[in-house]
Amino acid sequence: MSVSNLLENWSDVRHTHPVDDVPHTPYKWAMSIDLDACSGCNACSVACYAENNLAVVGKEKYEHGHSMHWMRIERYWDEDGREFPDQGAQFLPMMCQQCEAAPCETVCPVGATNHTPDGINSQIYNRCIGSRYCEANCPYKVRYFNWYDYPTTDNVWPAEMNQQLNPDVTVRGKGVMEKCTFCIQRVTVAKNNAKNEGRLVHDGDVQTACQQACPTSAIHFGNLVDPESKVYKQWQAQQVELDKDEQTKDKGTEEGGVSPEGEGKLRGYRVFEELRPYPSVMYLERVRESDI
Amino acid sequence: MKDIREDIAWAKINTDVLRSLENPRKLYWVILLIAIAMIGVAVGCEIYQYNMGMGVSDKNNSHVWGLYIATFIFWIGMSHSGTLLSAILHLMHADWRKPIYRFAEAMTTFSLMTAGLFVAVHLGRVWQIYYALPYPNGRGVWPNFQSPLLWDAMAIFTYLSSSILFLYVGMIPDLAICRDNMNPGWRKKLYTALSLGWEGTDRQWRNFRVTYLTIACFLIPLAVSVHSIVASDFAMSQQPGWHITSFPPYFVAGALYSGCAAIITLFIILRYVFKFEEYMTLPILKKIVRLTFAIAMVWTYLNLIEYATVWYGHDQASKDVLIQKATGVYAPFWWTMNFCGSIVPLIMFFRRFQTNIPVLFAVSLLLNLGMWLERWMIVAPTFSHGYYPWTWDSDQWPSLIQWGIVFGSFGWFTLLFMVFCKVFPSVSMYEVKEMVYHRSLATKKLEATGKLAAAGKGAH
Amino acid sequence: MNSGSVKHLAGQPFDRRDFLKVLGWSGAAVALSGCGNGSVEDGRETVVSYVEATDYMIPSISVYFNSTCAQCDAGCNITGRIREGRVLKLEGNPDSAINRGKTCGLGQAGVQHHYNPDRVREPLLRSGNSGEAITWEKAYALIAEKLNGVKGEEIAFLSGGVSGHLKVLLGNYLDSIGSKNHFVYEAIAPAVVRAANKKSYGVEMPRFNINKAKVVLSFGADFLGAWVSPVHFSQQYAQFRKGVNGQRGVLIQVESKMTLTGANADRWLVVRPGTEGILALGIIHALGAAGLALSGDVAAAVKGYDKARVSADTGVSVEQIDKIAAILKARTPSLVLAGSAAEGYAHGSQNAAAINLLNQVLGNVGKTVEAAAVVPFPQMTPTTGNTAALKTMNNGLAAGKFKVLFSYATNPVFTAPGAMKFKDNMARAGFKVAFAHYLDETALQADLVLPLDSALEDWGTQVPEYMAEGAQINIQQPLMEKLHANTDGKGTRGMGDILLALIKQRRADDYRKYDDYYAYLRAAVLQNKGALGGGVADDETFWNETLSKGIIKLAGATHALSGKASVAGLSLPAPAAIDAQYPLQLIPSVNASLRDGRHTNQPWLQESPDPLTTIVWDSWVEIHPKKAAELGIVEGDIVEVSGKNGSIKAQAYLFPGIHPDAVSIPLGRGHEALGRYAQGYGVNPFQILDAVYDKETGELALHETRVKVSKIGKRVIVVKDEGFAGGKQMGKKIAVRVSSDKVKLSGEV
Repeated sequence: MSVSNLLENWSDVRHTHPVDDVPHTPYKWAMSIDLDACSGCNACSVACYAENNLAVVGKEKYEHGHSMHWMRIERYWDEDGREFPDQGAQFLPMMCQQCEAAPCETVCPVGATNHTPDGINSQIYNRCIGSRYCEANCPYKVRYFNWYDYPTTDNVWPAEMNQQLNPDVTVRGKGVMEKCTFCIQRVTVAKNNAKNEGRLVHDGDVQTACQQACPTSAIHFGNLVDPESKVYKQWQAQQVELDKDEQTKDKGTEEGGVSPEGEGKLRGYRVFEELRPYPSVMYLERVRESDI
Repeated sequence: MKDIREDIAWAKINTDVLRSLENPRKLYWVILLIAIAMIGVAVGCEIYQYNMGMGVSDKNNSHVWGLYIATFIFWIGMSHSGTLLSAILHLMHADWRKPIYRFAEAMTTFSLMTAGLFVAVHLGRVWQIYYALPYPNGRGVWPNFQSPLLWDAMAIFTYLSSSILFLYVGMIPDLAICRDNMNPGWRKKLYTALSLGWEGTDRQWRNFRVTYLTIACFLIPLAVSVHSIVASDFAMSQQPGWHITSFPPYFVAGALYSGCAAIITLFIILRYVFKFEEYMTLPILKKIVRLTFAIAMVWTYLNLIEYATVWYGHDQASKDVLIQKATGVYAPFWWTMNFCGSIVPLIMFFRRFQTNIPVLFAVSLLLNLGMWLERWMIVAPTFSHGYYPWTWDSDQWPSLIQWGIVFGSFGWFTLLFMVFCKVFPSVSMYEVKEMVYHRSLATKKLEATGKLAAAGKGAH
Repeated sequence: MNSGSVKHLAGQPFDRRDFLKVLGWSGAAVALSGCGNGSVEDGRETVVSYVEATDYMIPSISVYFNSTCAQCDAGCNITGRIREGRVLKLEGNPDSAINRGKTCGLGQAGVQHHYNPDRVREPLLRSGNSGEAITWEKAYALIAEKLNGVKGEEIAFLSGGVSGHLKVLLGNYLDSIGSKNHFVYEAIAPAVVRAANKKSYGVEMPRFNINKAKVVLSFGADFLGAWVSPVHFSQQYAQFRKGVNGQRGVLIQVESKMTLTGANADRWLVVRPGTEGILALGIIHALGAAGLALSGDVAAAVKGYDKARVSADTGVSVEQIDKIAAILKARTPSLVLAGSAAEGYAHGSQNAAAINLLNQVLGNVGKTVEAAAVVPFPQMTPTTGNTAALKTMNNGLAAGKFKVLFSYATNPVFTAPGAMKFKDNMARAGFKVAFAHYLDETALQADLVLPLDSALEDWGTQVPEYMAEGAQINIQQPLMEKLHANTDGKGTRGMGDILLALIKQRRADDYRKYDDYYAYLRAAVLQNKGALGGGVADDETFWNETLSKGIIKLAGATHALSGKASVAGLSLPAPAAIDAQYPLQLIPSVNASLRDGRHTNQPWLQESPDPLTTIVWDSWVEIHPKKAAELGIVEGDIVEVSGKNGSIKAQAYLFPGIHPDAVSIPLGRGHEALGRYAQGYGVNPFQILDAVYDKETGELALHETRVKVSKIGKRVIVVKDEGFAGGKQMGKKIAVRVSSDKVKLSGEV
């Protein structure tokens, strides 16, 4: 590839959020997480460890902030100064938001983090040189660096434990950045299967590990350009659009916008939409009963 | 007061400067050993870090950059004054730069060489550092030209090679002097090879002048762009406290500032060690001090602008970072930075301190401490107080490994500089001669005009 | 591989009744069909050869086998992903009525139990202070020798909850050695609630239809975390939140220390520890006042529980009691649950009875509290454990009654209250055999440790205590080869195989036909093909189908519920006065991942943050910020929590979701043995529990320990996921909440 070739085909090399000339087709993977259903139980997080060969770093390294949980459950309290949290806590599963205009992608000096044509923010471990610029620029801080060489660290994957490692997922050595991949290994299998059958991936053909485990089915994952998919329907119903930085909900009154029918209010939102990373994960606000 | 005595014999200049190349005193070796020991510490730390992983430097997932990046900017900044003195002032025909630009230019080169090491030290997989270079390869894999870090790598590489070239080209006439004055030995061979057969013919001088001027012209935009690009590492990001428009000029000002401060430090040391009082005169020191003071005020102004735009801006997150800097765990460092950067230089405003060597020595060190802290205060607080409150982390304190490598980098710089001083003339002989010559011409002219005036023939 | 041993059945004189008993089908309508035989693909070869690969073994292609999760007793059905002969991941079985394809974190970590580096790999015989590896032959011979001449009543068998064919075999073995001393012990089982349910509803564990309730009022039942069948309840909860016709279910949680369920409540009410029953009666009183018709005896029973008094006793405001009564009255059906926080007192039975009474008053019985399906084979139904059994056994041990002690699937040295002195008493038994996965605290005290197969390499059947829909028997089958295979007579073995070997020592004739537990199970299942839904399928097909499904669904019977509200014997004590010396109530909390500590050596669980505090790898003392300020305690202070029976030291964590007069320490950590990931992390609050028992059932009252808390002057950094901003969003829109009147859920998909 010559430099001139590179310059001529620049738009193929850098691919950001869908614009008219580069629409997402036939796939755009996205997620929706219903915070009213999420109970904060951590099953998704453990399932992620099991699926994606995440290292258990141990107490000392956890203390130093070296944990590797691609999916972390955040627990927030009310900030109104009440003596007891009498409306419970707020849980938020946070993982890579697979931004369409990902702040991490533009800054990587070697292009190790990239946008796939189907809208996943991918990480090429082989290419990563460990500058950590991507994490520095990530507003959500959902990238995890291999501060140590976990495969050779005592008691991370000792004999026998290493037999559990998922052969579809690379075991990362020291010095590379990693993060949630939307279980790309599962997506790839589903895409290949569909391709063999001469069709597109149907909704439900592929589940992410967190989604599959989630006891309250709070997580949905699917193809945002497939009108049959649950995710598409949810995003539609909440009038959340991928390439907007302000949604219907944010317009109108301060408490939240009114849907066109005027019947009820919407609860779909994306975290830090105003920073315009155009994340692919929509959250549904947690609901609390007003009568009690 | 005159910058230099006009009656110094050219031969004396040669002898004085060449004396600095003579066999060093014991103290030299002691300092050299200390520098090597410091490097040893850093190398040990780096070996440990290389083997264990970056975790030993005690950074973490929300706080991914630390002292390496801060010190990297510090050294890059340090490099700028050399270019300022040797290239910018050269174009501006500021004669007083002549006795001091050589070591300043050397400082530029060596601080760049130090800074470059920090890029490597910082990387998680330093063994793959060449991925960041746009080398031709069959797989069509290129670095990401959108990344400021890539611009950085290229800018530094270009700047370093240009600086080395500039330093070398500017030294050729002096190397020839060395060659001609040396007894046979390795030095003679070295200077013979390096002086490229310089004979001081008119044609050589003319070509030399043109080359030197061309490189100087080339170097100026490069110097400004290098630190603007380093600033882009931050300004181009989306993080609160970083994406600030005024960062490029602010960084350049900070760079010149720390560089000037370092020049004062080295000026005082060289003047003392090599007894260069004849050449590194107090009037010249005074000029540097005034220049430094001016830059300090520019820096202070840009700093205040940064605070003001953040404070009056709409970006609450950036404002929070600023408040955090002033009141949080980093407050002692942040206030020290402001004190050293904006209050301490006020001493230089007073005429009687402008030539007071002990005071200036202390001040220059304080200024550099402030400028080092400035870089750290740009890097760290944004990590500990960024957009995402869940990952806020104030417990991040650099480990001894980080400190060890930062410490060792000063040893590395010292080593390079000390070797340079003993191998190459740290004062430009031919330009000092020029300066003396210009000086004497000026004096003659003055005397002539004085005579004329005295004769009452009137001025035209 | 020889497994077709059933063929020996033909031509053998055999008593039909005994035969049924041997196989566990007694009391059932058994249709005895002909005994099938033939070779079985059982996947138990020791070498996986790609040259002669088995049909389903294709390199790089995963195969999936159904089995049953053994991480807790809920009996979730799982599907294991196997590649190149190794089990890689467990998922829920979508056909399961219990978990419908879902799993919890604990279940996910099942593979880490299987691959755990600290598993016991060989039978170990105590010699002095160390264990000597011996062969199974020797071990069996030793047991036979030790049992020789020992009377039945001198043998005690301690186990966790058992069900299915293992229970049958165990029962038969105990029968064969003449022992009636089977103690079924579970450290944190809802035993008091079971007894109260039995009294109130006529069954120990009815079916709770959270998804059909419009309001759930839970008194400390952590049904989303660790209570009974959390994965099942979590799915019901999700439906409950979506509601019927967009009427979203409302969850009110009453407890003294916030559980995961409490953290998800619409209203979380903190009550003075132990006053849950009073609040329940107060709500009945308020319902009566609001116009709900109460029967005469109920009205009389709650007469004294007017709002003012209840509010004073419990600390719940009068307005809040009214609001609860109003919403319960307006939105029916509702569901009231009595959980572990309510039962953990000396008057736990009374608390639970009062709470159940509220359910009855609200008319929920038959609507949201329904009769659960029952497996029609009593020999196989689960024997649930409790702490009263441990107490009885401990007394027996103390009195020197037992000469031989067996211990299986339980770790009493770790979980028994220190006041019981279980470890010392255990030493009085002459010969102690532990069937163990790890060298846990109890196994370390044993004379003989027999290493068990993990649940992912063993055969079995399991009957869940909590039946989600119809009755079901869960099949557990090996998902891969034994990790620590049986070479030179050592290696791990399945509990069923061991019991079979032991029982053969006594009743060789009855069991001669079964080479191993697999053959036994297969014969047993095929023997009752008709009743198990096999129809006319041939044995081979039916067996393979059963294995491939992993669940046998039965048209099981249900016991009718007795819906009558009874207030007989209901009397609640006034809240206990504050003890000047020990002013705080200790609440040992149950973490959904670690439970009673048997899984602490699974590193995913150690590193999975506690949902509420986000602390990992260590224990902590939860204390309300107000109380902490009073005592001058800040986060990370090491505090000494001391009661009448000892003290422990742990880091303090300021936690708003706890009553100021209580402190809470999670159970499950503080192991002195078990393995590298468990040993030395945290403290074990079981050790300092006072031996106070529920007056009615004799169950250990877990919440009845009173303590004082003092700083020892050391401070550590609390290792947790939460950053220094704590649980604050700092005005950013990250996790957003909306009031229910501001959304319309029916418009959602």
